[in-house]
Amino acid sequence: MTLRLTVAIASLAAALALAACGDEGGIEGGGDETEVTTAAAEGEASGDLWVANWPFYIDRNTVDEFEEETGISVKYTEEVNDNNEFFGKVQPQLDQGSSGGRDIMVVTDWMAKKMYDLGYLQNFDTEAVQPAVDNLIPALQSPAFDPERSFSLPWQAGMTGLVVNKAEAPDVTSINDLFDPKYKGKVEMLSEMRDTVPLVMKADGVAPEDATEEDWFAAIDKLGEAADSGQIRKFTGNDYTKDLANGDAVAVIGWSGDAVQLQADNPDIQFVMPDEGCVLWADNMVIPVGAPNPTAAYEWMDYIYQAQNQAQITDYNYYVTPVAGTREVLEKQGSDAVKSDLVFPPEEFTADCSTQDEPPGGPEVVREVEQAFQDVVTGG
Amino acid sequence: MVRAAWNWVREHALVIYAGLAVTYMLLPLFVITVFSFNDPAGKFNYTWEGFTLDHWENAFGISDLTDALITSLELAALSTVISTALGTLIAIALVRHEFFGRRAANFLIVIPMATPEVVIGAALLSMFLIYGITLGFTTLLIAHIMFSISFVVVVVRSRLIGFDRSLEEAARDLGASPFQTFRLVTFPLLLPGIMGAALLAFALSIDDFVISNFNSGDAVTFPLWIFGAAQRGIPVEVYVIATMLFAVTALAMAFTVWQQRRAERLAAVLPDEPASEAPGGPMPIPPAPGSLGG
Amino acid sequence: MIRRRLIPYFLLGPGLIWLILFFAIPMYFMGRLALESGTLETGFQFTWEWSNFTDSVSRFDSQFVRSFLYAGTATIVALLIAYPLAYAIAFRGGRWKNALLLAVVAPFFTTYLIRTIAWTTILSDDSFVVDVMRTINLVGEDGRVLATGGAVIAGLTYNFLPFMVLPIYASLERIDERLIEAAKDLYASSRQAFLRVTFPLSAPGVVAGTLLTFIPAAGDYVNAFFLGSINQAMIGNRIQSLYLFERDYPTAAALSFTLMAAILIAVFVYIRFAGSEALMGDEAEDGT
Repeated sequence: MTLRLTVAIASLAAALALAACGDEGGIEGGGDETEVTTAAAEGEASGDLWVANWPFYIDRNTVDEFEEETGISVKYTEEVNDNNEFFGKVQPQLDQGSSGGRDIMVVTDWMAKKMYDLGYLQNFDTEAVQPAVDNLIPALQSPAFDPERSFSLPWQAGMTGLVVNKAEAPDVTSINDLFDPKYKGKVEMLSEMRDTVPLVMKADGVAPEDATEEDWFAAIDKLGEAADSGQIRKFTGNDYTKDLANGDAVAVIGWSGDAVQLQADNPDIQFVMPDEGCVLWADNMVIPVGAPNPTAAYEWMDYIYQAQNQAQITDYNYYVTPVAGTREVLEKQGSDAVKSDLVFPPEEFTADCSTQDEPPGGPEVVREVEQAFQDVVTGG
Repeated sequence: MVRAAWNWVREHALVIYAGLAVTYMLLPLFVITVFSFNDPAGKFNYTWEGFTLDHWENAFGISDLTDALITSLELAALSTVISTALGTLIAIALVRHEFFGRRAANFLIVIPMATPEVVIGAALLSMFLIYGITLGFTTLLIAHIMFSISFVVVVVRSRLIGFDRSLEEAARDLGASPFQTFRLVTFPLLLPGIMGAALLAFALSIDDFVISNFNSGDAVTFPLWIFGAAQRGIPVEVYVIATMLFAVTALAMAFTVWQQRRAERLAAVLPDEPASEAPGGPMPIPPAPGSLGG
Repeated sequence: MIRRRLIPYFLLGPGLIWLILFFAIPMYFMGRLALESGTLETGFQFTWEWSNFTDSVSRFDSQFVRSFLYAGTATIVALLIAYPLAYAIAFRGGRWKNALLLAVVAPFFTTYLIRTIAWTTILSDDSFVVDVMRTINLVGEDGRVLATGGAVIAGLTYNFLPFMVLPIYASLERIDERLIEAAKDLYASSRQAFLRVTFPLSAPGVVAGTLLTFIPAAGDYVNAFFLGSINQAMIGNRIQSLYLFERDYPTAAALSFTLMAAILIAVFVYIRFAGSEALMGDEAEDGT
């Protein structure tokens, strides 16, 4: 018995010693101070291209047509469901300088900035990307986080507001209506903190750009209470679309273009601009470190930024197009998209809308806010 | 009289209950099969909208779904071969040999089956993270082999326990060498059990979600693809493929059981006993409680 | 001569090494990770951060309670459903035995995720099944089944039922019918025979089945994810989220460890109560 015990302990110790040998004492963090590389275009674009994008963001034909025109073989994956989720997925590789094979990723403004600051993105080859940049609509030419468009190029822009099943919830016009007990358990909100919390703050009369730390926490507390009481069924990424479609939810915080696509299944589902305004954002194409084929990436960007190609995409997903000249093409095609406020929002429509904001204060504060929000979102 | 009637009811009540219980077990399978013939207008396969064979004809039409399925199959094949080999060897050692450290080995084999998958997956991920190992197909394979070994051991071991040594003795008496005995007597009779274990390992691998979720990185297996697609609407093709997998595995399982019964009859018949089932039942799966830890 | 004694070690070697390398040693690493602190941006350093463990208990206490509650309930329900079924198959199965067992195991042949998703269809707010439940008042007028604790428990019960049925069946099947006959010969009623002979003899199977059901159920997150809402989140959900979304590895690892410890404690208590003979019976060479 003692012999056995001794042997057991000895082998355990040996195993531990072996394990400790190769140990680095911790995991490397991101954010090395190495220089940001430029993804240079080289020669003719050819070969394979991998684009990682959000779902519901492209029509069925563009990829095939691009492949035909350029001879580049495209792998288009709809794997971005939520910025943080996607970040979590690719971060370990990006940290090691590899993109896992992806040439283009599409992430929202703030995530693009976060990734850039961590050294996970490359700068654009200004010459190669110029034709596309020249076609940018004025409003998106010089955003605060990337004034020269040196590492990000918008894919589409959009609005976060209310997506409502008009037949089941006809009187939902404000975010506060989502807290109405008569919709208990049939309401969903986005797991994207920078969409949900500013909207809740706006509904309470706080302008997100002026919000203080307390305002953020107060809004998160309000959400926490609603979650605990069962008012909010779930915090979702794109999956609110599924719940609206099958009737598990009747009113959600959602994205403008999705509403239009849901209408194919159920014409009662519509995007409703909240009384207090929406949140504006753009999703951007970025080139990660270790992208295998940047040349093809630029080819893709240039292709997308040609008005007639862009028109095809916008006509499908009904988001706000960043490409100048699209409107004219759509008009000529007689598309309904031209008349939609969602695609070409007039001034008054978005008058009360805010852009996505970070919580005020340094990274420490941001982390605390994110953690508090996460606690609410994952249940606690 | 009343007693007879009461007994009749009671006897049939049990059978009726069994019927209900089995229906309950098969209900989702039924739903899956039915919905594989659904023809939904939009992206969501939730309500029945119409019958169509389209998705069956075009089952492999979604390219990244098919890729994921292929990855799963490759992974399962490799994992099955390796884990079955490793597990069978362990089972033979545990049953046929006395040696020092047996209890500890036994313990190590059983513990993974009794640990929640979340913990196993998380622990493995922790190790990969600390060593900075890139997650992908290889890490998945490592994980799958790891959790399959225990199940293979349990299954093969229960087969070995019921094995009639007198057949081997007879072979030795007739002049066969140990190796020949193994090759011509032991192994063929053991084979159905090993096949059953392999089938189990295969099913476990194809089906695994939790451990794969933690250790896959960019690799996408069939269940992982479904999880991703669940957010946006699961296409009917998934239901079709699930039904196919079910049919194939069920057939394979039925075949294995049939083979096993044959082997049992050959291996377990003693002169004064009628052919009976080897302990552990006809199915490869139930670990007879004593052998769970023993 | 010496060779013979080494044979078992050669046979065991590869498999055991694999298990040690990829099951046992990772536990150590998870422990290391649990004692680190930091963030993804700043890197993680080993700082003997014991607070991770205490934090994990205090921050997530409601999920722990919930997980054990759901898993426990599901185990009990599964036992109630499985025992009669196993009994029916073992004693009344006859030539249908194999077919029935196949039916019990059949759910394993479809992907875990798809079977759970199938339940979301069966239990969705507008489904036939839920309508029936409303009619017979199992569910309130406006009530729903999905996104409640009940749905999650139902899912757990369903998914782990085979783990309960098979061990019970295996031990029932081994019972020598002559023992029951003997009891009846000694004037025991059917009920007495069951309570005094059959059930005690099947105890090992019951113990094995309950453990094989409870332990994985306690760590499960798939059922909660599809069938529940945020209020039904279990510990597994949070571990997954911490590792894969929030990337807060130290907290995640500590939480994982705490879960494992909690389960081990529960299991030890249970085994002491139920008798460890049943589980870790010593094994003979051949035969039982």
